Amino acid sequence: MAEGAQHHHPQPRQYVQIALVLAVLTAAEVALFYLEDGVEEIGQTLTVPALLILSALKFYLVVAMFMHLRFEKPLLSRFFTSGAVLAGALYLITLATLGAVILF
Amino acid sequence: MAELVGGHGEGAGHHQVTGIDSRKLGMWVFLSSEFLFFGALINNYLLFKGRDFGPGALYPVELYDIPFTSISSFVLLMSSLTMVLAHSALARGDQYQTRTWLFATAFLGVVFVSGQFFEFGEFILHGLKLNINPAASAFYLLTGFHGFHVIIGVLMLMVLGFKSMRTGGLSEAEGLNVELVGLYWHFVDIIWIVIFVLVYLIQ
Repeated sequence: MAEGAQHHHPQPRQYVQIALVLAVLTAAEVALFYLEDGVEEIGQTLTVPALLILSALKFYLVVAMFMHLRFEKPLLSRFFTSGAVLAGALYLITLATLGAVILF
Repeated sequence: MAELVGGHGEGAGHHQVTGIDSRKLGMWVFLSSEFLFFGALINNYLLFKGRDFGPGALYPVELYDIPFTSISSFVLLMSSLTMVLAHSALARGDQYQTRTWLFATAFLGVVFVSGQFFEFGEFILHGLKLNINPAASAFYLLTGFHGFHVIIGVLMLMVLGFKSMRTGGLSEAEGLNVELVGLYWHFVDIIWIVIFVLVYLIQ
């Protein structure tokens, strides 16, 4: 942990606020799922990107605030981010190659 | 927490040239490598979920109970809050709250895993057996592997909680263990965030 990092860590009250935001984002995800089912005009072209953005936001909040990566030395962020990005890129390419997703 | 994890106690010998405790660095590298494991399993499921396995084939997507899984997801998400509150309480030196939040996190983990067992039981009752088709196998492998991670996390939390009860509180050196278990627990949570959207919500 970086020197003096504990002074930047959120307080319990802020952790609860972050958890509330996470709960609202989860509720929004579920609402989008049912919206897609109920309103045909919306379709997957809108809901899929929206769901991916919401989950990315949740992912970021947990990693940055609960795992404290935002307050850590940059080396840890580089390790973690490179692992996530490389794995994501590898599997996206595999899925595209096998025709499971269309990239362009 | 800087003092707890900085290694002024027993952990002082674990510092490297990076200035980061080697155990903590090791945990981050391990978690980074876990992306490959879970990525492979998610990839596997995405490849098979849309395949045609003949007339009358049963797929996991036909049996999903989204309200139930949403509540499970919420429970796991809230366990990340209780975990970070345990970490925060230990940094303040509040041993009672540390213990309480550690056990609360373990309890929420048990609730989540119980939900997963219930879901598997329901699916099997409906005929979706493990080997019925590759899509079902991929689903059980992915969610089961995640559930196994949660069980390991619950065991680690219980060990810390009972150790705290037995000794009257966790020492400064053990504070790093709480942080490492916390990192693992939050990681299990973020993997579920991805699974919930890619497997359950995007059909």
